[in-house]
Amino acid sequence: MPAAEPAGGTQQGSGSPDVAALIPLVRRIVTARVPDQATADDLVQETLARVLAASGRLESGTLEPYAIVTARNVVTSLWRDQDRQRRHQHRVVDLRPPEAPDEDVLVQEDRAAIAQALSRLSDREREILLAHEVAGRDTRSLAAELGSTAGAVAAQLNRSRARLRVEYLLAAERIEPPTEQCRPVLLAISGGDRRRQRDVDAARHLLECEACGRLSEPLMGRGRTRDDEVRVPVRKDADVVAARHVARELATRLDFSPTDLTLIATAVSELARNIVRFADVGEIVVELLEAPRRGIKVVARDAGPGIDDLDRALLDGYSTYRGLGLGLPGARRLMDEFGIASESGRGTTVTMIKWRDEP
Amino acid sequence: MTAGPRLFSILRQGPYLIASIHTALDDSQLVRFQEDLIDQIGRYRARGVVIDVAALDVLDSFASRMLRDIGEMARLRGAATVVVGIQPDVAFTMVRLGMDTGSVATALDLEEGLSSLERLMNASPGRRT
Ligand SMILES: [Zn+2]
Repeated sequence: MPAAEPAGGTQQGSGSPDVAALIPLVRRIVTARVPDQATADDLVQETLARVLAASGRLESGTLEPYAIVTARNVVTSLWRDQDRQRRHQHRVVDLRPPEAPDEDVLVQEDRAAIAQALSRLSDREREILLAHEVAGRDTRSLAAELGSTAGAVAAQLNRSRARLRVEYLLAAERIEPPTEQCRPVLLAISGGDRRRQRDVDAARHLLECEACGRLSEPLMGRGRTRDDEVRVPVRKDADVVAARHVARELATRLDFSPTDLTLIATAVSELARNIVRFADVGEIVVELLEAPRRGIKVVARDAGPGIDDLDRALLDGYSTYRGLGLGLPGARRLMDEFGIASESGRGTTVTMIKWRDEP
Repeated sequence: MTAGPRLFSILRQGPYLIASIHTALDDSQLVRFQEDLIDQIGRYRARGVVIDVAALDVLDSFASRMLRDIGEMARLRGAATVVVGIQPDVAFTMVRLGMDTGSVATALDLEEGLSSLERLMNASPGRRT
């Protein structure tokens, strides 16, 4: 627990103060000490951001005292900073002390990113989110106040959280999305909304847009690092070797037999080569499965021209390149499960599984 | 030639060439291996080639095809080819995949490969010298 000391000035009662009470409170504390309106706004914003960031660690009853202490700390750190820079200082914007150790800088930058992300939400979005996350209001009481339903409020909260994650990452990484499509794609991924992901063709965009490709990882991981799934971008010959190496390494963890390891690595090699040959760009995702039984799943996805005649492509001997046409049918024979989906002009996705356990 | 560890080596031993692949090769490296080997077969008028693939943990359709093509091209230049060192799991996978080394002979290891080249030479005494 942080050593927040909510000693004096604490208002009694109200186990869940709503945000309408929290924001004026913070504003009162800040404006009483900082005359400049714009600076005060910044500090209120920063205080709320810090409270929001800490809300997961706080008991609902301590939110208000925590907000009060935080508001004071934020103002104090501004004063310290002003003191240091008094001579050439007329309005403090940058709260970062120049000689702060790296760690402090990181914390400050993180805070700034959260604040910037919050400012990207609409006022209404931000208020509902803060009311729920910071003030601990439940969806039912929020719905009653907003003339909506608890389900609709919950859905709205999910969208806001998804947007906040996206905006936070963009701010923290200092990335300006290169295309119009980036934000909708990142939002769909952040929200985990499969249908929306299909609608905006997220998989394809991730293959084509380097920035989103990079940002999508933490969004999909939702903070926790998954070590049972590995993605390998496939563009060139060397990536084929890398992909099958990754698959073999991951499969080793499930104690597959040496023969199965070779079958898996070879199947991955065939699919990765297809991507390089036909699509130029794509990815191989290898994932360990626990249920319904243990196994390894390989998804090969590309943004290529697609395959017009799937039945024919799966026939032995059919091929337009020198590989004896064994790529797809060969891989299918090496694995236990095999599925393929392809759309002309959009790309191809192959999913294969090798089971570790008998059914 | 790029710096770094050698991907493969091709050594002369009498009338034979011994080609060893040292690590997993990607497709373009396999193509370069093929070109180098065919080039040297012609240059040294080799009568036989042993290709050691023991270091390969995967022989997929492209690599298998490459070995067959080498054997075919070597044959047209009057040289016999023996592939040695195919790991048991790799061999099993090739069968499942529907691949084989075609007309190219295989042997367990380098020693057996060389003696099977000798046998091939003796079996066709009329070829060259
Ligand atoms: Zn993008």
